[in-house]
Amino acid sequence: MSSDHTHETDAPPLTETIAPGTASDPSVSGTERATITVDGTDVTVESGSTLLDAVEAADTDDTVPALCHYDREDEIGPRSECRTCMVETDANGVVPACSHPAEDGATVRTAADPAAEARDVNLDLVLSDHNLRCTTCGKNGRCELQDAAIEQDVDEPRYGVLDDRDAYEPLDDTSSFIQIDRNKCILCNRCVEACNDVQVEGVLRVEGSGQDTRIGFQSDVETMEDSACVSCGHCATVCPTGSLVEKGIEDATTIPLPGFTQKNSVGKSHERHGKSKGPMTPKKRVDSPATEDSPADDPDDADGGEWP
Amino acid sequence: MTSILSGDETVLRYSATGPPELSEVAADAGVTVAAVGPSGAPAIEPLVSVTQGGQTTFHTRCSADELRELTAGLDDGLPTDLADAVVDHDPSATSLPVPDLAGLDAGTRRVTGGWGWRRPTDPDDHEAAGGFVTATAEETERAGESLRGRGWGDWCQDEPLADTWETARHTDGEATVVVNAHGTTADALLLASSPFDVLEGACATARTVDADRVVVYVSEADEDAAASVREAADAYPDLPVAADVVTGPSVYRAAEPTMAIEAVEGNHRLEARLRPPGPAEVGIDGRPTVVHTARTLAQLAHTLRQDGPTTRLVTVTGDVADPVTVELTEGDSLASAVDATTVEGSLKAACVGGRFGGLTASLDVTADPASLIDAGLGTEGVVEVLSESRCVVEFVGRRAQFAADENCGRCVPCREGTTQLAELLRDLYDGRYDRDGIEELDRVMRTSSICTFGVDAGRPARTAMAAFESEFEAHADGRCPAGACTAEVTP
Ligand code: SF4
Ligand code: SF4
Ligand code: SF4
Ligand code: FES
Repeated sequence: MSSDHTHETDAPPLTETIAPGTASDPSVSGTERATITVDGTDVTVESGSTLLDAVEAADTDDTVPALCHYDREDEIGPRSECRTCMVETDANGVVPACSHPAEDGATVRTAADPAAEARDVNLDLVLSDHNLRCTTCGKNGRCELQDAAIEQDVDEPRYGVLDDRDAYEPLDDTSSFIQIDRNKCILCNRCVEACNDVQVEGVLRVEGSGQDTRIGFQSDVETMEDSACVSCGHCATVCPTGSLVEKGIEDATTIPLPGFTQKNSVGKSHERHGKSKGPMTPKKRVDSPATEDSPADDPDDADGGEWP
Repeated sequence: MTSILSGDETVLRYSATGPPELSEVAADAGVTVAAVGPSGAPAIEPLVSVTQGGQTTFHTRCSADELRELTAGLDDGLPTDLADAVVDHDPSATSLPVPDLAGLDAGTRRVTGGWGWRRPTDPDDHEAAGGFVTATAEETERAGESLRGRGWGDWCQDEPLADTWETARHTDGEATVVVNAHGTTADALLLASSPFDVLEGACATARTVDADRVVVYVSEADEDAAASVREAADAYPDLPVAADVVTGPSVYRAAEPTMAIEAVEGNHRLEARLRPPGPAEVGIDGRPTVVHTARTLAQLAHTLRQDGPTTRLVTVTGDVADPVTVELTEGDSLASAVDATTVEGSLKAACVGGRFGGLTASLDVTADPASLIDAGLGTEGVVEVLSESRCVVEFVGRRAQFAADENCGRCVPCREGTTQLAELLRDLYDGRYDRDGIEELDRVMRTSSICTFGVDAGRPARTAMAAFESEFEAHADGRCPAGACTAEVTP
């Protein structure tokens, strides 16, 4: 006997069509007030805390960057994708501090070799897929990736940076309010959560897999101008890098030489087609033409592409 | 329905996966006809057998014409002259009397006993073989203390099941049991050939964790398996819980237990979930969920039914004449699985444990998880044979590239790590062999990836560097010892 299972969800109508493409993560924080030993010092954290809260409360032996972590809004994170916050625990070995529940009596060592190595290598891995052109970047000087790299004394990232490897994705310069440079995106997912969970707009999503994983639009369009964006700016506010920057200040911190701009740093960009007038909400208008180019799906290529 | 296992009648069995003409000819044979599931040895299928009393003839790769010929003479007795093998056995044998046929004669037949012999969705056949035993929750728990999860799709991979069950039981909310049969040949074969065993294990698990729902999760590519288990769920006498069959995309990563849950929930893009807490606390729709592979649950059903050695299903593929799935006791060596088929050329290496298994030059390892892990190999139950003509470096390079292309994209150590791993291996062709760098990257992927995909993705490279170091050095010197990738190496 098979039963017809229907999903019961208590989501309000507004959110039920939101498809951010991300996993439904469990809540990862500890349920009780807990005392944790961090590098030999006891610290007490409130219920709802993670090991990172304990690490931040203690004066640790090593720096723990926690690059993708966001601590200013409950609705955002932990995504726990960058893994630059690994610490060693007695009970569970090496774990990501940002998303490991703080359990009473836990012992944490930040300087343990496997944890320090993992933080180091993972930060370099983030940089390996990053266009590190800080001199033409609108977030120069107020960038969390830059901060993490400086704190960790990254001299030369061991796997190089995006330039060494891949073709750039064109810049999306089509919106009057926000510029997207996916070559600087670290896939921390903050913008997606700000858009879907905080603003409940359902514009942004994570799409693709492997190296094709990127921030895209739920309406299957290619540019911000064609999306259902309402230009609230929340995504740009939470973005830790120069990937989402408010228009008008995309060159605010570049070196003051003629010819050096964020836009020509990549060489290619999507430009406004200018067909829409007024507010950045063409998708919300009844007569908006739907674009039918959805991103290519990942094929199950057993050979895994060309080698070598 | 007439029992095909009583030994009183002439029974003609044919594999249900054969061409439709086969079933038409069989139906006209004037004897009891049974459509049975795949045998585990696709090379000899369609496999037809005819049983009279205590004797059975086997006819491999049987065409409709051959079947017509052999059924024409059935009145005069068994068609032994047309048979590829003849076996004498107990007239009411409930499991396949093993013929002397390549692919079927290796290993043992416990969990696979009904393959090619019993009708997969016929409750009478299952009952005659001792099935539908209702174990108490206590008995099941006891079995779960020593039984270990099989395959990377099992949340309890290589760990005893009982602790996870206890967590699920002590978590608020009605639990769900997910039967993960995605992507692995042996799991799909279990659903196609002996779905009742799998459902029986799932029902026993449901009873111990207070689950009110069983979800069978299958790759959309495995249509036969999905159809068979759907039919078995409908035919299951007094099924104690609701059972659904859900399909997921046929990509490798979709078998990961939390991605299986995401697929069952209907997410359009699959990525791994954060943990802890694991599915046993927060699973499908937030409810406690245990995820076991079909292999684990079939093993559980047999353990509850009778004592006996625990076994492992091993699929042999790669440079062999024909791929085959056999059953080994945990003390059998992997070499005995490879004996079930013929290696093309001579064996140089094997990748043991699935896509991200370990490379070894010797198959003199027993099939139990502890020995496999000690040898640095994987426990997925797949042995992929590489013959003398294959280049190990090229093989692990392709595996790294596969990992880079097929990961879910969520976490940095896996998404970016696999890409860099492929780059580091490609560097060999430019004369750079950074052994320490590869080892460092593999260590970090292992300690910090969210799911097993990233944890295991470096294993082919790691184990190959240990077992075939000279080949890596040779490539860095511009030479491929196997002569397989010289074209790519600059002189
Ligand atoms: S986002 Fe901009 S400022 Fe930050 S590291 Fe990248 S290039 Fe530099
Ligand atoms: S665009 Fe910014 S906020 Fe969004 S995922 Fe990328 S780095 Fe994070
Ligand atoms: S290990 Fe790989 S497959 Fe698993 S979550 Fe990370 S990126 Fe995804
Ligand atoms: S901060 Fe913990 S994984 Fe990114």
